[in-house]
Amino acid sequence: MFQLLFKYPEAAFARGHVILVGARPTWALGLAIVGVAAGLGLLMRWRMRHAAPSVRPWRAAVLWLLQASLAAVLLLLLWQPALAVSELKPQQNIVAVLVDDSQSMARNDDGQPRLTEAVNALQQGVLSALQQKFQVRLYRVDGGLSRVTQLGDLHPTAPATHLGDTLDQFAQDTADLPIGAVVLVSDGADNAGGLDASTVAALRARHLPVHTIGVGQVAVPNDLEIDDVQMPPRAMADSRLEATVRFHQQGYAGRTAVLTVRDGSRVLASRSITFGSDGAPEVATVLVPAGTAGSHVLDFSLPAQPNEQDTINNSVTRLVNVASDRRNILYVEGEPRWEYKFIRRAEDEDPMVRLASMLRTTQNKIYRQGVTGPAELADGFPTKPEDLFAYQGLIIGSVDSTYFTAAQLDLIRQFVDRRGGGLLLLGGRAALSDGGWGTSSLADLLPVTLPASRTTFHFDPATSELTPAGADSPITRLTDDSAANTQLWKKLPYLMDYQDAGTPKPGATVLADLLAGGRRLPLLITEQYGHGRTAVLATGGTWRWQMSLPVGDPTHDRFWQQLTRWLVTDTPGQVTVSVPQQVMLDEGHTAITADVRDKEFRPAADARVEAHLLGPGGLATRIDLAPVPDSPGTFRADWTATRPGSYLAEVVASRNGQELGRDVLTFQRMDGVAEQFHTGQNRELLTRLAEETGGRYWQTSDLSRLPSEIAYSDAGVSTQAVMDLWDMPAIFLILLLLKGAEWLLRRHWGVV
Amino acid sequence: MTWLPRRWVLLVTAGAIAGVFGLQAAAFQRFPGGYGGFGRFGRVPQPTAADAKHEFAWSRLQYTPVSRGYGGYGYRYRGGFGGSWSRDYPKADITFLAALRRLTRIDARSYQQVVTLDNDDIFNYPFVYAVQVQTWTFTPAQATRLREYLLKGGFLMVDDFHGTADWESFLNGMRMVLPADEYPITDLADNDEIFHVLYDIGKRFKVPGEQYVLTGRTYEKDGYVPKWRAIRDHKGRVIVAICHNMHLGDAWEWADSPDYPENFASMAFRVGIDYVMYSMTH
Repeated sequence: MFQLLFKYPEAAFARGHVILVGARPTWALGLAIVGVAAGLGLLMRWRMRHAAPSVRPWRAAVLWLLQASLAAVLLLLLWQPALAVSELKPQQNIVAVLVDDSQSMARNDDGQPRLTEAVNALQQGVLSALQQKFQVRLYRVDGGLSRVTQLGDLHPTAPATHLGDTLDQFAQDTADLPIGAVVLVSDGADNAGGLDASTVAALRARHLPVHTIGVGQVAVPNDLEIDDVQMPPRAMADSRLEATVRFHQQGYAGRTAVLTVRDGSRVLASRSITFGSDGAPEVATVLVPAGTAGSHVLDFSLPAQPNEQDTINNSVTRLVNVASDRRNILYVEGEPRWEYKFIRRAEDEDPMVRLASMLRTTQNKIYRQGVTGPAELADGFPTKPEDLFAYQGLIIGSVDSTYFTAAQLDLIRQFVDRRGGGLLLLGGRAALSDGGWGTSSLADLLPVTLPASRTTFHFDPATSELTPAGADSPITRLTDDSAANTQLWKKLPYLMDYQDAGTPKPGATVLADLLAGGRRLPLLITEQYGHGRTAVLATGGTWRWQMSLPVGDPTHDRFWQQLTRWLVTDTPGQVTVSVPQQVMLDEGHTAITADVRDKEFRPAADARVEAHLLGPGGLATRIDLAPVPDSPGTFRADWTATRPGSYLAEVVASRNGQELGRDVLTFQRMDGVAEQFHTGQNRELLTRLAEETGGRYWQTSDLSRLPSEIAYSDAGVSTQAVMDLWDMPAIFLILLLLKGAEWLLRRHWGVV
Repeated sequence: MTWLPRRWVLLVTAGAIAGVFGLQAAAFQRFPGGYGGFGRFGRVPQPTAADAKHEFAWSRLQYTPVSRGYGGYGYRYRGGFGGSWSRDYPKADITFLAALRRLTRIDARSYQQVVTLDNDDIFNYPFVYAVQVQTWTFTPAQATRLREYLLKGGFLMVDDFHGTADWESFLNGMRMVLPADEYPITDLADNDEIFHVLYDIGKRFKVPGEQYVLTGRTYEKDGYVPKWRAIRDHKGRVIVAICHNMHLGDAWEWADSPDYPENFASMAFRVGIDYVMYSMTH
C-alpha cells in the first residue's frame, strides 16, 4: 500500500531525504505560496459583499483554506520535489548473508527445525532476488564466523552463538570489501551477553545496515528457565551470600516450585516460589551459606515442570571463592559504654573477623583489646596509611571529630575512597552531629546529611522497623523469609537510645528506621563511596536486644556479625584478580585481569605480575600479565581454557623482588550447555540491532520486499539517486480531495 | 515547779510529732533509682531529674535476706528498705560514683539505682553490686533471672561478707544461680585482666571496714585473709567478682572521714573502678 501511494518503498524514504530540483530558489516557493494565499484572501473579501447571505465569514475562511492549500500543492509541484537516496550499484556490491547455525537452530518450532525455516525462507525467492542485483556471500555464525558456499553446508551443531563477537569479526574481516548490506538470519539466542556498544558503533561507522530475519518462536511453550544468577564471586567463611535468581516461564503461571541451591549433593538453601504470569521476567532472592574456605560450585535449580522439554535450562551453576583469611576491623570508641562491650562480645563469636579496639577510658588513657601485640595501636589512632590500611573496616563510636587530626581525617577518607575499606559510624553522645561530624571534612563521606543541631542524641527508647530494602538485605536478615524478617524486627525490644541522623543522601540506602517520640528517623543507612562503603547506625543502644531477649537468642550477635562482615567482605587486598565470567559456557577464551596496589594502595604500575594456572588433565602453566595502557596498576592476559572443567588461577604481584600480594580465583568451563538457554527467539535483540544500524527486522513470512529495500544503502559502492516525487499517486489524491471537499461544501452551503 | 500552759504543751507535742514524721518522709522518700538516706556525717546529695539519663547507672541489688534465729535456723525476712542489702547505702554508692565520674570518661549517673530480681528491669543495668551476700536468698524464679542476667552479659560484684560461715551462706544462694560443676569459683591472679583495665593493681592489700577505725582490726569474724575471687562464663570472662573478707563499700563510704586511712580508700576506689571498667569492656 505504501509503495502504491508513494511510488517508492518505505525504506527509500527512511534512508533518503526530500529535495527540490527546480531551477527557482526555495525561498521563492514560500513567497509564491504566501502571495497566492493572500491574493485569494483579498479576492474573497472583495467578493463577500456581493455574495449570498449564506456565505458567513467562517465558511469563507474554510473555502479560502482549501483553495490556498490546493494552490500550495500545485506550486510545490512546479518546484519539482524529488527524493535523494543512496542506492547500491547493481553487481558491484556484496550482500553478506549470515546464518546462525548454532544448536538452538535445530530446535523444532511448529514442526520444523529453525534452520530449515531459515533456509526455506531464503530459498523462496529472496536469495535469488538478491543474487540478481548483488554478489551474495554466505556465512556461518556460531561461536565465530566462517564462510560457506551454499545453504546446504549449514548444520546446527555449534555449541554457542556470539553475535556481538561475530559481527565484530565480520566488520574487521570485510573492511576492504564493498559490503552493501548484511542480512542476519538468527533466533537471536546469544550466549555471550548480547551486543555491546562498540559492536554497533563499528557497524555504524561503516554505514552498514544489518537486516535481521528472526526465526523461531518468541515464546517457547511449556518451558521454565533460569535466566541468570547474580551473587558475589567472593565470600568470607561461614557467611551468608545473597543470590538474586532471575527466571521466566511459559505455561506454568500460578504453579509453585522449590528453588534449591546445592553444593554437590548437599542442599544449602531452598525457598518456595509461585510463578507469576507467563513470559514475565521474575526475580527471587535466596540467602546461601558460604560454608568453609575454598572454592565452591553452587547449583541453582528449579524442578522440571509437567510436559517441559528442555530441563537443562532449569539449573545454573555459579562459583564462589570462600576466603580463609581473617578480616581486621579497627573500632575506635570515645567512652566506655555498653554498646562497645556487646559489640566486642558479638565479634568474639565470629572466627573470621578480628576486632581490634581502642577505647578512651580516661582523658589520657586508651585501653586496647583484640590487638595482635603490644605495638598495635600503642600510639593511638594510626597516622600512616600502611598502618590504617592494614584493616579492612573501621568503626567510629562516640568519638568527637576533633579527637582526630586533620591528617587522620584525610587518612580515613583515603581508607574508604582509595583503599576500598568500610566505615561505620555509630550513634552516641559525641557521635554524628553531636560530635561535629556534620561540619568535619568527612561530612561528604557519610551516607546522610547530618542535622545542624548538636543535641541530636537522646537517652530515650526507640523501636526499629525495616524498610523494604532492609527486608532483603543480608545485613539485616535475621531470618530467611523476607516478610517474617520484617515482622521480627518490629517485635525486637526497644533500643536504649537513638540519634537523629538527618537526611539520607541520594544514592544511600536506608535499611531500617527508628520510631521515637512520634517521629520516624533513619536508623541504618548505607552507601557506596569511592572504592569502599560507608554506613551510619544511629544508636548506641542495640545492646538492649542482647540483655532483653532470651538467653542464647542470636539476634544481637547475628546482626552485628552481618553488619561487620558487610563492612569488610568487599574490601580488596593489594592484588585483586578477576575474569569476565567465572562460568564459561561452551567457550574457553577469557581475560585474566589483576588490579595491583602497593601498601598505600596506590596503583603499582611497575609491578611484575604472573599467573599460575591449574586445570583439568594436570594442566599447570604460568603466564605473565601485561600492563593495560592508560590504566595504571591494571594488568591483563588473554588465555583460553581448552578443556571443560575447573581452573584455578593464582596471581602473584611483586616489585623489586618483594611480593606485593597475591590472589586466587577459580573459574570453570562447561560445554554442551549454552544453547539450552535463551531458546526463544530474541526479537528484542534482533530489532535493536537492525534499528541501530539502519536496517530492519523481518519475519520469515514476509521477505518479499527485502531484496528491493536492501538496495537503499550508502555502504559499499553506491550512487546518489534522485527520484521524482511529483507523479506520486498520493499527490493527485490530495489535489482531488482538496477540490472535491470544496465542491461538496459549496453545494452543501448553497454557494456556487 | 511551774507548769507550762496547756496550749504550749499541745504545740510542742504536735511539733515533735510533725518533725519525726517529716524526717521519716525525707529519709524514705522514693526518688528515681532508689531511696534517700543518711550517712554518719549527714545527708547525702540528692539527685535531680536532669541527672536521670546517663549511659551507666550504679545498680545495687535488693534481695531477700535471711535473718538467723537462735540455733542456726533462719527465716526469710521480707525485703525492703533497711535490709542487709542496703549496708552503707546510699553514701557508699554516691561517693564511688563521684570518683567514677571524676576519674574516667564513663558517663555515669551521680546516684545509684536499686534493682530487684522480681522483674526484668535489672536487664537494663548490666552491672549490679550486692553486699552482705551471706544473707541473700532466692526463689527459683529469682535465681533463674539472675542466671540469665549473667549469661546474657550482666556483671555481678559482691562485697562485705567475712569468714567461713558467711562464705558458706553466700554459696547457698550462689549455687542456686550458677551450679558449681559448670561455673567453678576461682581465685583471681594478680595478672588477671580485671586488675589492669584502667589501674594496674596486681598487688593488692586487704581493705577493712570502718570498724578498723574503732578497733584497729583489719578483719571481721574469721575472715583474716582477703579473697579476690571470680566466677567466669564459658569464654573465660569474669561474670561474678567476689570480694570476700573485705569491705570496699565501707571504704567508699568513709573515704571522706579523717579517721579512715587513705590507702584503704584508694585501693577500694581503684578496685571498684577496674571492676566497672571490666564489666563495660568484656
